[in-house]
Amino acid sequence: MEKFQQSFPSKPVAWPASKKWALSGVVGSGNLEVLIEPNAAAPASVSYAVETSFPGYKDSWLAALGDFASHYAVGGTTITIHDQGASPIVITMRLRQALDLLTSAKP
Amino acid sequence: MSAQPRDLRRRNKAARISRASGLASGKLVPHERTADLLRAVIEPGDILCLEGDNQKQADFLAAQLASLDASTMRDIHLVMSCITLPEHIELFKKGMIRKVDFCYAGPQGGAVADLLASGKFPIGAIHTYNEIYARYYIDLTPRVALIAAAKADRAGNLFLAANTEETPAIVEPTAFYDGIVIAQVNEIVDVLPRIDIPTDQVDFVIGAPYPMHLTALFTRDPAAITDVQILMAMVAIQGIYKEYEVESLNHGIGFNTAAIELLLPTYGEELGLKGKICKYWMVNPLPTMIPAIESGWVETVFSVGGEVGMERYTAARPDIYFTGRDGSFHSNRPMGQLAGHYALDMFLGASLQVDIHGNSSTVSKKRITGFGGAPNMGCQPMGRRHPTKAWLKAGREANPGPGSIPGRKLVVQMVETFQAGRVPTFVESLDAQDPSIKAAMQGVAPVMIYGDDVTHLVTEEGIANLGACHTPEERTAAIRGVAGYTPVGLKRSSADTASLRERGIIKLPEDLGVSPARANRSLLAAQEIKDLVRWSGGLYDPPAQFVDW
Repeated sequence: MEKFQQSFPSKPVAWPASKKWALSGVVGSGNLEVLIEPNAAAPASVSYAVETSFPGYKDSWLAALGDFASHYAVGGTTITIHDQGASPIVITMRLRQALDLLTSAKP
Repeated sequence: MSAQPRDLRRRNKAARISRASGLASGKLVPHERTADLLRAVIEPGDILCLEGDNQKQADFLAAQLASLDASTMRDIHLVMSCITLPEHIELFKKGMIRKVDFCYAGPQGGAVADLLASGKFPIGAIHTYNEIYARYYIDLTPRVALIAAAKADRAGNLFLAANTEETPAIVEPTAFYDGIVIAQVNEIVDVLPRIDIPTDQVDFVIGAPYPMHLTALFTRDPAAITDVQILMAMVAIQGIYKEYEVESLNHGIGFNTAAIELLLPTYGEELGLKGKICKYWMVNPLPTMIPAIESGWVETVFSVGGEVGMERYTAARPDIYFTGRDGSFHSNRPMGQLAGHYALDMFLGASLQVDIHGNSSTVSKKRITGFGGAPNMGCQPMGRRHPTKAWLKAGREANPGPGSIPGRKLVVQMVETFQAGRVPTFVESLDAQDPSIKAAMQGVAPVMIYGDDVTHLVTEEGIANLGACHTPEERTAAIRGVAGYTPVGLKRSSADTASLRERGIIKLPEDLGVSPARANRSLLAAQEIKDLVRWSGGLYDPPAQFVDW
């Protein structure tokens, strides 16, 4: 088990006021869950909290999380990740999916 | 003037046939006498062709050949498409083979690497399919060809059923250059459904004690398609299929392409693409295409080979598939490959390794696999002259000069950035460039698809339009830009990636209007093999290993 937290600068996110959070993925072998929530205190940065059952990949985690913060407007959010050995491929997809669910107009 | 004889091969053939005369009744030889027949007609030094591609195998004849003693069977120059069976490996272990020219060794890739390391695998060259068939007509014409057919009649005519594949490409050059053609058949009958090879081109027929080996190579279970593959499929449909209006195409074998096929009736339909894209196919009868065919997407499909379980379905859809007068499916590997080379807008395939120049390969030091047919389609046909929309658009992007061809085929490589076990797909240098591998191949690394031929690279990160890159440096930057969190990807500069994205050379899913949240298995037109059976109206008979009900 490895746990770490890290913040990255990011443009402020915009989403419908009706939504309080969005979740994508599940904790399971080779998969992970990503929970995205508002954090009004820091509108120009995203704060990640990662818990993974596969230690030793912190560098590639931080590279992927940093890129996500710079490619997408996710400032003003906290993203909590529970991982069970997902590949970087699945991680970035679940991040995109959570953001997509949060910002889309659909309930 | 003393005339030099110019019919030595013909005389030699007659001598061989007469040595075997006691074994045959007409052209029929009992299977118990197969080893005697092979000993009678094969001579040391022969170029010997053993039929076997990635699907169909003359496996009985291969086993009989492998059972012979190296004292009678030696100094053989083996020419064949695919080294697939343990019996093929046995020929090398016994020291019968002087030289081998082949295309592919997928299932035996590990054994071939071991043989190569111990000096027992003397490679002439590793070819693509059409390349080796072409050499059968030039400098590698077989003296003896051992082939497989579904049925023979008593006169020796052959019926090849769904798996015509490469049989005519072996038989014709052999028969017309005084070689000997020996066929194993599943069954000997009085009247054939149709004649695919006339008896004029056949010397001996053996009713094999068991039916020829056939691999269900192209069957992919929809249940194993992942959300990531669905995301990539959505990206490919938006960024390439729709963008270039791809009408004619080939798909390689894999779950990425299976995902695309299963998204056509759902996602493709929603985008209004039916009737505009994916109309003409050169591809084997893929079970995962059944939903698209049943939904009216597909005009025609021509195939290099059959697929186990698709016989009744293809026979019932003659508007789509090529069928014989008997009503059953017909395939032809060399002509299919030729069609794939010249007549398609797009080839889309996958690979195990892609380097920073866009070269790809499936060869490693531990597995010598080879090529098969992908390079015949995954390359630019410089002899092409007919234009299509996709060809012209890709050609314009490539920024041709005054002396260059105006169009380009779309050659797309679709890969996930990591393989199973976190093995990166993207590498600085291919394993195929290993000096020991190159040394065995006269200095030429076995590259499957060359970077110069590739127009697009699709990963879960997005699309890199390599065809529109102006310099090798720019191409490398574009590859790093979609290489994700592999060591190759981590070396990208974010400024380069941003500038390539601005110019449209790199496109992320959101640049294409793809919503990642929708990348979900529920978007597939079929969730499992059983759904494909339902779509087919009960005409698809999946092989036993795919049936769990």
